[in-house]
Amino acid sequence: MAEIILKGHKVAKGKVEGEALVSHEPISFLSGVNTETGVVIEKNHELEGVNIAGKILVFPVGKGSTCGSFIIYEMARFKTAPGGMINLRADPIIAMGAIISNIPMVDRLDGDPVDVIKTGDHVELDADKGTVKVRSRH
Amino acid sequence: MQLTKEENEMLDGKYGEAVQKSMEILVAMGECYDAEKMITVASAHLLHGRSNTGKAGALFDKEMADRGGKCVIFTDTNPSGIEPWAWKDIGISEEAAQEQMDYTNDFVRMGIFLANTCTPYLIGNVPRVGEHVAWSESSAVPFVNSVLGARTNREGEPGSLTAAITGRTPAFGYHLDQNRYGDLRISVTAKLKEPHDYATLGHFAGKVAEDRVPVLTGIPPSVSWDDLKLMGAAAATSGSITLYHVVGITPEAPTEEAAFGPKKPRETFEFGEKELRETEESLSKATAREVDMVIFGCPHASIGEIRDIARLLSGKKLKSGVELWILTPRMIWLYAEKMGYLNIIEAAGARILCDSCPICMSQGFLKGRGHKTVATNSAKMTYYIYPHQGLLPYYGSMERCVEAAISGIWR
Repeated sequence: MAEIILKGHKVAKGKVEGEALVSHEPISFLSGVNTETGVVIEKNHELEGVNIAGKILVFPVGKGSTCGSFIIYEMARFKTAPGGMINLRADPIIAMGAIISNIPMVDRLDGDPVDVIKTGDHVELDADKGTVKVRSRH
Repeated sequence: MQLTKEENEMLDGKYGEAVQKSMEILVAMGECYDAEKMITVASAHLLHGRSNTGKAGALFDKEMADRGGKCVIFTDTNPSGIEPWAWKDIGISEEAAQEQMDYTNDFVRMGIFLANTCTPYLIGNVPRVGEHVAWSESSAVPFVNSVLGARTNREGEPGSLTAAITGRTPAFGYHLDQNRYGDLRISVTAKLKEPHDYATLGHFAGKVAEDRVPVLTGIPPSVSWDDLKLMGAAAATSGSITLYHVVGITPEAPTEEAAFGPKKPRETFEFGEKELRETEESLSKATAREVDMVIFGCPHASIGEIRDIARLLSGKKLKSGVELWILTPRMIWLYAEKMGYLNIIEAAGARILCDSCPICMSQGFLKGRGHKTVATNSAKMTYYIYPHQGLLPYYGSMERCVEAAISGIWR
């Protein structure tokens, strides 16, 4: 089983491990995700119908309204938020959402996370050290 | 990040739980954006519409108030979801009104002023050149940065509330000199005759500049605060414009060289008669001839705008079934009453609504009352009115909108 370690930059503190869920497209939390179930509802999104609750969510960047931080916060309350997040580059709305909701998050890694990590991989995310340990299932 | 002794004490809990939590959030944001230090902010402006910040926003703010959060700098609010006198009459439900009142109460507990306007700079909250502030509200942010020359990032509610409670914000983005220079030039050759022509220009500027800093040339010295208010609101809607410069007008752009500083403008876009016409036409999305609603005051109307509407309505009557709303803060409502404009406007069958806005009120309530088509002179309103209220917009001059309210037909 191949193991890769990526190094990057802390966005929101904490450690978490779990199963990766990768989106190649940006994600909008306001009106893009059902906060009560954690299922992506944006029409024609590559993750439409997929549940992000508890997953290590890997996506390039956020998009959409400045209310997005509160949506992440609401999901954390409903226990439907991702367990951790990995971005190519964090935008202030997603970053603030992760920070106020205590969701470990990193960005600016030394490899493209959307490319290197595959859905279903086991990921150990240590935001304090800025490291992501990826164990491929295949 | 390098914190002062006092900031470290805030982080350690010496000033209570709300200050500690707020400082933790600000330090995390600062580290995320490689800020070297915190800066002291002079004021904050917070979103306040319960339907905008949602259940989670209300919860976040309530928890801050419960933890003993008090604002330590001048802090005021954006429009509320209810009109103080007319909410029942215009069809806001008891339930929505109660949610808003509970939410407002948390602001009062934290010592926040209920300005209830997206244009607090029209009622005395006027940051000065170079002053650091932490403001929400997409239309107020470019006004404060560009027209007044104060400095704010485009804050969401958590960023501005935590700044209100600590008096600090991390030093990054638009707080720093190097990020305030122009990125591209918009050369305005069209003749801008009416105030809404500035909104049309703003819509164009936001589209081409996206999240960069545009420098506008060719704007006449007669441009007013009202014009720039409409322009910035439009630019922050079609793009995420936080700061723009108008050469010869705004404080950081006495000359084009000053506006660009060490940067070289790599792109120039022309805004001529063709762009003016095409952009204006693109903002009307309605197709029915009939108009049943007219909205002015997005952003909230100034006393001068209310006078102009009163002149157009003087001695006229709105067509039956058509409503005309002017949105403004309560202080300007009082001013309009004193000046006699309120009488003229109400005699025509129109109304001035205070402290609120259809894009802060409950979602979909206008459609629920049978409204279908709105006319407005605000490019920002044309964007939000459909997703928030389900009405299709016509866009044009103040005069054209008033005429539509009188005839019931868009011409």
